Amino acid sequence: MLKQRPFLIETLTAIGLIVAPFVLPHLGFAPNTVNRILVWGLFGLGFDILFGFTGLLSFGQSAFYGTGGFVAAYLLTRAGFGNVLGALIIGMIAAAATGYLIGLIALRRTGIYFAMITVAIAEVFFFVEFNPLSDFTGGENGLPGVPTPSFNLGFTTVHFTNGWSLYQFIALCYFIGVIIALRIVRSPVGAIFSAIRDNPLRATAVGHNIHGYKLTAFVIAAAYAGFAGGLLGVLQAFMPPDAFTFDTSGQLVMQTAIGGRGTLFGPLVGATVWLFLQDFLQSALGLGAAWKLVLGVVFVLLVCFLRGGIIGGLADLYRLLSGRRKRSDAEAEPDTETTLHLAPAPMQAKEVAHPAYSGPVLKATGLTKRYGGLVANSDIDFSVNQGELRGIIGPNGAGKSTFFKMLTCEIAPTSGQIVFEGRDITGLKVTEVCQLGLTKSYQVNQLFTGLTVRQNLTIAALAELRGKFRLDLFRKLSSVKGLTEQVEHTLALVNLTRRADTPVAELAYGEKRRLEIGLALATSPRLLLLDEPLAGMSPRERVETVKLLKSIARGRTMIIIDHDMDSLFELVERVTVLQEGKVLLDGTPEEIRTNAAVQEAYLGGVHGEIAA
Amino acid sequence: MSLIEVNGLNSYYGDSHILFDVAMHVERHEVVALLGRNGAGKSTTLKSLMGVVTPRSGSVKFDGIDIAGRRSHRIAQAGMQLVHEERRIFGSLSVEENIVLAGFTAPKRWPLDRIYEMFPRLKERRNNRGTELSGGEQQMLAIARALVRDPKIVLLDEPFEGLAPVIVHDLVKACRELAAAGQTIVLVEQNLAATLALASRIYIINNGHIVHEGPAQELKAQPELLQRYLGV
Amino acid sequence: MISWPNLVSQLFNGLALGALLALISSGLTIIYGTLGVLNLAHGAMFMIGGYAGFVAYQYTESFILAVIAGSLFVMLLGVAMERVIIRHFYHRPHEDQLLVTFGLGICFVEIIRLIFSSQSQLVPPPAIFQGITNLGFMFYPTYRLAVVGIVAIALGALFIILYRTRLGMIVRAGIEDSVMVDSLGINVYRVFMVVFGIGAMAAGFAGIVNAPVVSLTPGIGDDILVQTFVVVVIGGVGSFPGAILGGLIAGEIISVTSMFNPGYAYVMLFAAMTLVLVVRPHGLLGVQGRE
Repeated sequence: MLKQRPFLIETLTAIGLIVAPFVLPHLGFAPNTVNRILVWGLFGLGFDILFGFTGLLSFGQSAFYGTGGFVAAYLLTRAGFGNVLGALIIGMIAAAATGYLIGLIALRRTGIYFAMITVAIAEVFFFVEFNPLSDFTGGENGLPGVPTPSFNLGFTTVHFTNGWSLYQFIALCYFIGVIIALRIVRSPVGAIFSAIRDNPLRATAVGHNIHGYKLTAFVIAAAYAGFAGGLLGVLQAFMPPDAFTFDTSGQLVMQTAIGGRGTLFGPLVGATVWLFLQDFLQSALGLGAAWKLVLGVVFVLLVCFLRGGIIGGLADLYRLLSGRRKRSDAEAEPDTETTLHLAPAPMQAKEVAHPAYSGPVLKATGLTKRYGGLVANSDIDFSVNQGELRGIIGPNGAGKSTFFKMLTCEIAPTSGQIVFEGRDITGLKVTEVCQLGLTKSYQVNQLFTGLTVRQNLTIAALAELRGKFRLDLFRKLSSVKGLTEQVEHTLALVNLTRRADTPVAELAYGEKRRLEIGLALATSPRLLLLDEPLAGMSPRERVETVKLLKSIARGRTMIIIDHDMDSLFELVERVTVLQEGKVLLDGTPEEIRTNAAVQEAYLGGVHGEIAA
Repeated sequence: MSLIEVNGLNSYYGDSHILFDVAMHVERHEVVALLGRNGAGKSTTLKSLMGVVTPRSGSVKFDGIDIAGRRSHRIAQAGMQLVHEERRIFGSLSVEENIVLAGFTAPKRWPLDRIYEMFPRLKERRNNRGTELSGGEQQMLAIARALVRDPKIVLLDEPFEGLAPVIVHDLVKACRELAAAGQTIVLVEQNLAATLALASRIYIINNGHIVHEGPAQELKAQPELLQRYLGV
Repeated sequence: MISWPNLVSQLFNGLALGALLALISSGLTIIYGTLGVLNLAHGAMFMIGGYAGFVAYQYTESFILAVIAGSLFVMLLGVAMERVIIRHFYHRPHEDQLLVTFGLGICFVEIIRLIFSSQSQLVPPPAIFQGITNLGFMFYPTYRLAVVGIVAIALGALFIILYRTRLGMIVRAGIEDSVMVDSLGINVYRVFMVVFGIGAMAAGFAGIVNAPVVSLTPGIGDDILVQTFVVVVIGGVGSFPGAILGGLIAGEIISVTSMFNPGYAYVMLFAAMTLVLVVRPHGLLGVQGRE
């Protein structure tokens, strides 16, 4: 969404900000209103990174807005600090530091818990400002006398006083804020933020430390809030205590949702609508206090019917008007595609040199998992050699899924040991294991549903190329070494090259299934586990997926669970049969087919019954 | 008129196509078994009948009325009950509460005594909470919860899975009694011996398609059929 | 210097506040437990309860009728809210549920502000509970004592509804597995509607009972909402006993801290919540898995 031509958005923003003072007065906007909109917009840039991009809805942003604002205002009014910009930056740093500490607590939980905790935290800050710290913050009087910025350029002094003069300063701050936010959103970290919003489970499974990234988003939002809070004091020549109120947080959330989340500019649009309606309804229509009710109703209606807010709605409209023909082209594509060239592997599977180690790739000994009294897996010994293709079968309740989950460290075994390439991985986290080169594709698709195919694979590939956590916030995605190759390679491998820029939601089921495998492949695993790769496929799709799996298998070690015996036996070299949580047998497909115990396990004693 | 008549039933999980044009019928007082491998679509078939999964197309005539697409409480009120594979006992409710709750909206109810006569174990444990039951007791409770509504048809999804042979034996006996009393049952089960002991007619489902229909006796005489669709 | 009577009277205040919070939080928690929706308009329900009671009192001059009328009004409001709006959000992401209930809360507050202005309104306590009671070692406002009793009765009633009635049985089953409840022939959407009504009514009832203690303003629900959140985080989301335990803990923390310095009441409350989050992330009586 935010790619297109380089610097297009930056340029448009700059033009908009330059033109605004000439246009807006004619629309009835006072300079002071415009300045307030920009402060809200700046506040919202960080919040949108947190909410719109990372999916964390915080109702406690006022804590950081107030913290930044009061630190800056205190420095400027009480501490005799003369440099306005310096004070703003110190305020921002203070807010970011606060954000880090608060984030450590709030991010212990997700979803509604996170929302509730942030609300509670913000309320604490409000009371602390009012009471224990009132000597520093002026309590309910706030801090009056915040100066406006001036810069001594040697030959002249530029002083931004008020109105459109101050606008220049605030607009510049906003512009820089936009540039930074855009860099972040387009960086690898930004890509991972969206992954967390769309599917935190899979983001973890492909090898990202999502807690670290969530904390990053939280701190970024706090930093933006802190700077904006400082600007509020400068703008009003007074730091108001109500910056800390729950209303502030609420207003930010509403403005963001009204304008459109996940767009960066949504909060600005929302603030414009908000402040315009406030003026318009109050003065022009004489509604008095009812303006907020009208805004509330507008907000509720937008949430009900226009989830993307105003910008999202406009984007939909634009797509509807301009993109209809384009889309029908894209839809015609898959039919022609599925029938063609699946057979030859487009590219050789990537060989990962791993010199030091020889011996079984994976070795599990005495693996046991109990749930209360229920034994799901009991004392399983299992080993897979380099380059092997292993199938796992077993009747319902044999414990196959539990076994896979233990191998990928999604769940910890009750007892037993798992050794991957000579290294004990028992008790590690799924993220770490993926980083070591072991991952799986899921039985039920776990995709990043809001993104395109290419973006999906990018996220998986990034984990392998950058490690589980790295703060390259200002790096361009395209400058990550090897990323493009790896994504293209995987696209070709799962035969989705022609669908690379299609959103996941528009894919056919079979394509989603291939992408599911692609996500695992893009992390370049040396051992790949496939949990029912053929589940839910039509017979024709099965045939093609088997071909696909064969081509992937070159140079890789894979373990596959599936119920489709014919397909599985065609694919694998050896099969392990599980029954009632134990290994029943290990052998070639032929041995398995002809083994009486296996037949017995599957047919549940029918022979005995018939004989009787 | 058949009690259940299914035609052209297609069901999905999300966008994963599970059932393909399934057609089947169940007569009154009949025990029908649905066989197939893991993931073949047996559970989905039962769930589609019960309305837990909403079929995307096709018709399900139950006692003469089309129930496809209805919410499951309506289907339950029409006289169908599904005993889920996972049993889905309410763990925080007592055994008796579980049973009583199930009977709330039933037009005609089994008296508790009749339930306890059938499953004496449940009577002993009537004040225990659902979480305190063993697997076998949970299964009995799940079945009891269905029976208390005096349903026209009971769908049993893997009722014997993971249970000790003694308990399976008891449950099979209970099901036989039910069948003898004229209860219509659709059974999904991996335990072939138990299935063939109960069912008079068999459907085999493979990859979401019904591939065989016939009397249970016939199946005993044709082991190659079993081998093909259920074996390895 | 702390004096014993002072401490005891604060403990009593804490009990009254705690009982009130327990009642409001029970409403929030059973709604969340059954429907999976966190109602950010719950504070507004508390506030509207107070105003509805106020209006009823104006007409009838009877406190009891005010309580009944106010509770019923909020219950109907809750039912309407569920039918018209919340129902369409069951299958939408949590964020959308939060946003829409937050927006509804704002609308409710603004409607009340429009009708009654921002000025505070007073509801006098019923005649029999007016004045001050001599507890032997100290004097204590009679109505505050009565609040503890009234709320305890309401909690008892809620307990009976939840644990001794058909409806309660269905609600408890629904908190565990609403699909299974539906499979047993019970229209689970109707249950959701009733639960929403009862949950809202719990808040509304608390709002009226609390009205004589404070003065009514349209913003009165905001603080309560925040405290309620702390209560359910401490007690565990979806747990009725957890709401009661959490409510009492929160009430005492606020009151006792206020005795030393009211400014630190929230800090201590927050510290307690943080402690619980670190030691037992799912709350004192919460169950793992519900998020």
